[in-house]
Amino acid sequence: MKAPIAISVFLSAITLSAASMAELSMTTQLDYESTFFGADSQIGENEDRWNQSIALRTELYKELEGDQSITFKPFYRFDEHDEERTHGDIRELIWHKVADNFELKAGIGKVFWGVTESSHLVDIINQTDAVESLDGEQKLGQPMVQLMLERDWGNLDLFVLPYHRERTFRGKDGRLGLGRDFADAVYESSDEENHVDVAARFYTYIDEFEYAVSVFHGTSREPALGFDQTQGNVLPYYPQITQLGLEMQYLNEGWAWKFEGIVRDGMLQNNQSTLLGDISFPVFNTAGGLLVAEDEQYFATTAGFEYTQVGIWDTRIDLGWVVEHLYDSRQEEASATAFEHDVLLATRWAANDAASSTLLAGVLFDYEHQDYSLSVEGETRILNNLMLSVEARVFAPDEENPQWDFRDEDFVRLTLSYYL
Amino acid sequence: MKKVIGIALVALLSSVSAWSETPEEKGLAIAVEADKRGEGFGDSQVELKMVLIDSKGTEAPRDMRVKTLEGLGEDGDKSLMIFDTPIDQKGVAMLTYTHKEKSDDQWLYLPALKRVKKISSKNKSGPFVGSEFAFEDISSQEVEKYTYKYLRDETYDGKDCYVVERYPTDKYSGYTKQVAWIDKAEYRALKIEFYDRKKALLKTLENKNYTLYLDKFWRPGLSEMKNHQTDKATRLEYKGYEFKVGLNDKEFTKNSLKRAK
Repeated sequence: MKAPIAISVFLSAITLSAASMAELSMTTQLDYESTFFGADSQIGENEDRWNQSIALRTELYKELEGDQSITFKPFYRFDEHDEERTHGDIRELIWHKVADNFELKAGIGKVFWGVTESSHLVDIINQTDAVESLDGEQKLGQPMVQLMLERDWGNLDLFVLPYHRERTFRGKDGRLGLGRDFADAVYESSDEENHVDVAARFYTYIDEFEYAVSVFHGTSREPALGFDQTQGNVLPYYPQITQLGLEMQYLNEGWAWKFEGIVRDGMLQNNQSTLLGDISFPVFNTAGGLLVAEDEQYFATTAGFEYTQVGIWDTRIDLGWVVEHLYDSRQEEASATAFEHDVLLATRWAANDAASSTLLAGVLFDYEHQDYSLSVEGETRILNNLMLSVEARVFAPDEENPQWDFRDEDFVRLTLSYYL
Repeated sequence: MKKVIGIALVALLSSVSAWSETPEEKGLAIAVEADKRGEGFGDSQVELKMVLIDSKGTEAPRDMRVKTLEGLGEDGDKSLMIFDTPIDQKGVAMLTYTHKEKSDDQWLYLPALKRVKKISSKNKSGPFVGSEFAFEDISSQEVEKYTYKYLRDETYDGKDCYVVERYPTDKYSGYTKQVAWIDKAEYRALKIEFYDRKKALLKTLENKNYTLYLDKFWRPGLSEMKNHQTDKATRLEYKGYEFKVGLNDKEFTKNSLKRAK
C-alpha cells in the first residue's frame, strides 16, 4: 500500500515525540472468535462447519506539543480456513492538529457518516472491510487529509483522499463468501487506485433536529462485480462516481426519526456485457435478470424510527423498537449488496447493568421476494477486561435472489475479547 | 443606643419577611442562594472513580474524567465526561449542554464506530452507565429545573440544615420529588432523598468530605447513592479537583467529543 503522506507524518511525529515528555498510551485487544455453521457449505471448497479465528488490535496514542497528537491503530486477523480473511490493516496512522479556527488531520484515518441502523448508505469515506463483518461496519484505513471547521453555523469537514482501497472479499475457502477467488480490481479511471477523490460534509443541529449534507466525487467504494469467464474469477470494477448524501434525525419524546438518502451518478449497473478493455464483463445475475443500464443515475433511501421505552416493567432495562424501510430506485437491477425493497424490524435491549449487557435482534424482510434474514447481536462483560459477544444469523433467501448462495450459511458466532 | 435600635429594627423586619414568605418562596430563595454561592467557578476538571456495588457487596469500578464550563446568562453549564475504564469503554465520551428552560442537549461518542449519537432527553431517568445514578442526577443542577418547598429546619450530621422539597419541572424526570438537606452555613446539599414515580422512596444520596476550593467553592470528595428498592449502591470518589484551568467553548463541541482522550 502506498501512503507516503502517512509515513512522512509518522516519521515527523516520532521526531517530535522524542522531544516531548508526553506519555504514550497503549491499549491492546485480543479477540478469539469461534463460528458454528448450521450446514455444510453448498458453495466453495471448504465444508467445515466450525471456523476459528483470532484478531489483534492495538491503539497507540501520543499527545504532542502545540495541540497535536498522533494515533496508530494496527490490526491483524488470522482465520483458520479463509486465507483472504487472514489479513492485516493499518486502521489509523494519523496526525491531528487542533488550531484556534480549524482542525487538520493527515495520514490514514477513519470517518463515519450516517444515522440509520439497517444500512449505511451515506458513509463513503472508508472502504468496507467486508471479510470482517456482514453489516459493513468494519472499515479499512483510508489515506486522507481532513480539514475540520467548527463554527456557530455548523460543522464543515473537507477531505482530500489520494488513494483508493479495494474492498476485501472472502476467499473461495471461506464460508459466507461466493466460493470463488477474486481477480485484481479494474478501475474506470486511468489513474486507477491513485485517483484523488474529494469529499465534503456539512452538519449541524437545531434543538432536537440534526441534519447533514455531503458530497463525494471519485472512485466508488462499492465495486460492480463481474465474472471473468477465462479465469473463473470474480472481477471487481470500480467506476468514478459522484454521490450526494442527506442525513436527518429528529428526536421527539421517545422517538428517534431517521432518514438517510443518496443520489449517485456514474455507477455501472447490471450490464449484460460491458467491454472493459479486452475483458468481457457480464455481471452476476440478479432478480431482474441481466439488463443494460450503464451510468444511470439512481437514488437510495433508508427511513424509519427507533422508539425507546426507558425502564420497562419498572426495571432498569431499556427496550427499543427499530423500524426502517430501505429503497433503491434501481429495483430489480440493483447491485447484489443493495436493499431494493426491504423492511427492518428490530428490538434493542439494554440491561443497564454493571456488565453493560445489550442485545439487538431483528429481521430484514424483502417484501417483494418474500425472503428474509434474521440476526441477533449481543454482548456482555464477563470480567473487567473480558467481553463476550454473540452474533447469529439465519438466511432464508428466495431462489431468484442473489443471496440464494447464503441459504446454508446460517451461523452462530461467539467472540471473546480480552483487553490488555 | 442608635445601633441597638438598628439591630432591633433589622430583626423585626427580617422576622416580618419570614412571616410573609410562603414555604414555596423560602424553598426557592434557598435554592437561589445555593446557586449564587456556586457562581463564578469559571471552569473545572476532576477525576472520578465510580464504584458500582451490587446487593451482595461486589464492586465494579469505572474511571472517568469530567470537565465543566460554567454557563453565562441564559446558558447552563457545559460538561464533557470521558471514560477511561472499563477498558472496553475507553474513549467513550459524553457531551452535555445544560439548558435552564428547555431540555438539555446530550451527545455520546462511540470510538469503535467513530459515531456521535444524540441522546434523547427522555432518557434522563435511565441509569447512567449501569450505576444507581440516573442521567438527571449527574447533570448540572440549574435552579429552573425544579419548583421548591421549604419544609423545616433540622440538624443533620451535626450541621444546622434547611430541609427543602423540590419537584422536577421536566415531565421525563424519573422522580415525583426530592428532599434535600442543605446546611445553613454554606448551602451545601448534604443529603438528598429521591422519590420515584409512585411516590415511594427510591434512593438516598449522601455527599461527604466537602472541601473548599479557591476560598469559595465547596465540592464533595465522596458521594454515595443507595437504592432502597434493590439494595444496590454506587460510590463516587472525586480526585484532583482543579478550577479555572482555562477551558473554553472550543473544548465542549462535537469535534472535541471525538478527540477526547
